[in-house]
Amino acid sequence: MSTSLEMKKIQKWYGGLHVVRDFDLNVDPGEFVTFLGPSGSGKTTALKMIAGFEQPSGGDIMLGSRSIVDVPPYERGIGMVFQNYALFPHMTVAENVAFPLKVRNVAKAETEQKVRRALELVKMGEYRDRFPNQLSGGQQQRIALARAIVFDPSLLLMDEPLGALDRNLREHMKIEIMRIQKELNMTVVFVTHDQDEALVMSDRIAVINEGRLVQVADSNNLYYNPTNRFVASFVGESNLLPCRVDRIDSGAGKVTIGDHASGVSRLNGQARGDSGWLFVRPEHIDIWPQGAVTDVENVLSGVVESALFLGELTRYVVRCGNESITVKQQNRGQTRFANGTPVSVSWNMGNSTVLN
Amino acid sequence: MTTLLAKRKVAGAAVGNVPRSKNLLSGLLARRWIRGTIIATPILVLLVGFLVIPLSIIIWGSVEGSKLTFSHYVRIFSDETNLSVMLQTLKVGFAVTLLSLLVAYPVAYLLTQIESRALSIVTLFILVPLFTAFLIRTYAWMIILGRQGPINNTLIWLGIIDEPLPLLNTTFGVIVGMVHVLLPMAIFTMYSSMVRIDHNAARAAQILGAKPVQAFFRVYLPLSLPGVFSAGVLMFIISIGFYITPALLGGPRDAMITQLIVTQLTTLLNFEMSFASAFVLLLVTLLILFFASLFIPLEMIWSSSTVENTNRAARSKSQLFSNAKQAMHPALTAVEHLIHLITKPFLTRNARWLWAYTILVLLFLTAPLIVIFMLSFSSSSFVVFPPPGISLQWWEKLLHASDWHESFLFSVKLGAVSAIFATIIGTMGAFWLVRTTLPIKRALFLFSLSPLMVPVIVIATALYMFEARIHLLGSFAGLVIGHVLLSVPYVVVIMAAALRSFDQSLETAAAIHGARPMQVLRLVTLPLLKPALLTAALLAFLTSFDELLITMFMIGRQTLTLPFKFWNDIKYELNPLLSAASAFIVLLVTAAILTTLWIKVRHDRRTSASIGQ
Repeated sequence: MSTSLEMKKIQKWYGGLHVVRDFDLNVDPGEFVTFLGPSGSGKTTALKMIAGFEQPSGGDIMLGSRSIVDVPPYERGIGMVFQNYALFPHMTVAENVAFPLKVRNVAKAETEQKVRRALELVKMGEYRDRFPNQLSGGQQQRIALARAIVFDPSLLLMDEPLGALDRNLREHMKIEIMRIQKELNMTVVFVTHDQDEALVMSDRIAVINEGRLVQVADSNNLYYNPTNRFVASFVGESNLLPCRVDRIDSGAGKVTIGDHASGVSRLNGQARGDSGWLFVRPEHIDIWPQGAVTDVENVLSGVVESALFLGELTRYVVRCGNESITVKQQNRGQTRFANGTPVSVSWNMGNSTVLN
Repeated sequence: MTTLLAKRKVAGAAVGNVPRSKNLLSGLLARRWIRGTIIATPILVLLVGFLVIPLSIIIWGSVEGSKLTFSHYVRIFSDETNLSVMLQTLKVGFAVTLLSLLVAYPVAYLLTQIESRALSIVTLFILVPLFTAFLIRTYAWMIILGRQGPINNTLIWLGIIDEPLPLLNTTFGVIVGMVHVLLPMAIFTMYSSMVRIDHNAARAAQILGAKPVQAFFRVYLPLSLPGVFSAGVLMFIISIGFYITPALLGGPRDAMITQLIVTQLTTLLNFEMSFASAFVLLLVTLLILFFASLFIPLEMIWSSSTVENTNRAARSKSQLFSNAKQAMHPALTAVEHLIHLITKPFLTRNARWLWAYTILVLLFLTAPLIVIFMLSFSSSSFVVFPPPGISLQWWEKLLHASDWHESFLFSVKLGAVSAIFATIIGTMGAFWLVRTTLPIKRALFLFSLSPLMVPVIVIATALYMFEARIHLLGSFAGLVIGHVLLSVPYVVVIMAAALRSFDQSLETAAAIHGARPMQVLRLVTLPLLKPALLTAALLAFLTSFDELLITMFMIGRQTLTLPFKFWNDIKYELNPLLSAASAFIVLLVTAAILTTLWIKVRHDRRTSASIGQ
């Protein structure tokens, strides 16, 4: 039942506006892929092209082995959960869920059984005779999901489905959606601008910016090994320090950070003499009294500019020359550095990368 | 410390210095029921004094008062001619309603789909005909359908017919004219409820496997039915109360009940009979409205924005009905498949066919206006189309026709006075209906719309008898009252909608910063309501400016209003001078609409910019 999806060099122009450029993406059967990007990045347009509401200006979309760009939406056999759910207000919950089966002329008994199963799956069995406007947002969400999966679609699309829910409900629905996806082994394309949703739920995340796929990777790799400055700053918090590559030593680069400090970092295809941005996550940086550390590759000294106590961790901003470095330190009873304290910050080579 | 004390003293002094009169006024306004009474009085006096009482008088009169004789009613239903007039009225009403709905639906649908710039252009093409007087449009159809009109001329030129077809003075002519008159209203009524249907619903249906036809029939159409139904009710009650168009475009056998009433009243002087006929018309209208109220909230017909979106109607769907639907399902599916096969090639993504269709409808709506324009530059002294040559003679004549000038000025004066009164009374009424807590709010809102429910001919008859009694007939005030009565409901609808969407925390904010109630009103509330006030006033003005029936009854020996002057001249002779006058009015109406739109856009942009959208 689950099918692969392949987008080949998809383009979309609106007049002179190039909103989707060179989309190349393979989604494996049963895989949960998230389109993550800021609003206006083209992620919803890309989803609409998969659904068939928009025609790509170029390229091809393959669902399984068949090209679907010329197939109308109703023949694509794709399930979709809309941002505002788009439940039919004039039909009951059961009628809504039965809709995809009814238009496919599925026999009555089979329809009944499938509707019941789908409603049970989303734990809404007892609400079948209600109308959508008698349900809460979370319940409507579940019905929308049941309606989208009741006909065993080859692919499930979700367009920011959690956006309208409050925080607690959202956490809960994340888990629910993951459970159902695993249970049915469905191929899912999920669109969101919320990085937490993306990191928690996805097998792989496709980060989109200005119409381009900037990186496609699983959560772990995306977070720790971004290949792009946009990804580094959009997903999680990060330090990006201007640097120049001085020398390359078996894959690692000797770099100059800022004006003078020297360090070692992994490279991302840069050559000697290139300048770029040294990326390191705040939680990978250690903070010491000044001069207390010598045995790590990267050490900078500076002055604590601000120290915020956030409960489980303390967030420091350390000024080192022209650069401000953010450091997050787990609170385990160690003494905290007050503002103005001279400190050293250090990190391992393996935790930093030079990005273009 | 001392400065602080000093400051406090100054502040105290300032409070103490508030003039007493203002305190008194604020004190009065602070009491809720006094405020309620003050703002409710004008509209209640108007509606009870000049609608309810006059109507009661003619109903009483129709049974000859305490004699309680029903002979006039018996005569209406026993007389062959009267009965056929009734049937003709219903027949034309049905045909016109059905046709306008069918023609308007796709256009209303397209309007919900297009982006704002295209929307405002298409809207303009519908608004201009909507606000052009019925009379002018009917006059245009008299030319177009005439023996030497463009239709007959084209057909003869094409060699399809030898003799001109009799189009004018036929039921066909009446229907075409009335559809033209009602179409813009049908489009807007349906649009205003269709625009609130979530387009994702139809999209969702498609991605879930419904073919476009199925998505339409099973999702979009059912959701749009309340809007269609309310438009249908509106079309029907307007068309059975119509006077101008059937009188001018129809033949003797196309007489409708309105003409019967006018003839009884003005020519045959059979008052009781005309009262009885008016009451029958009123009763039919009210019955239809009652029937409609079983399915939709009545206020939806005139102001869809006031209705909360519920699907109570859908829920009360009977078991029988859904069983029938279940049984029909296979046949239904087969039909859907057939339609799908037929329509598939036409359903392109950019709705090209829908656009083509809409442009045709817009052409139908604007063609009469274009014909009038062309005729106004005719060199011929007769109404010939196409004009044999171009000249400005008719515009020059219009420039020197002092009787037309007087009529124009009188109409403008009447319109302006009526608009001012209607706007004030209607706005106060809207405040009362929206802002105060009333036990029977809905019923009162419907009551404030009652002048729209009672056919104009009935209002005219009733007001005529009433004003004759209280010696107001033939006076300017009497005329203004009639016009205000007709335009107040529009003001109420527009202002109530504006007030409902008004953010009341702005008034609280003004009050906390020191504004007294009247200052809040003057500095915050009214400026924010300006576009709505302007629209309401314009609508009231145009209602009065186009009004004919009430004017005919009430005018007495005053200067003729423009529509009345028109009416007299049309009945007397069709000449191109009428075209020049019509063209001039169309230009004025267009300018007024454009100005209002412009002010509204400017206001919207400014207020939304300040919120930071």
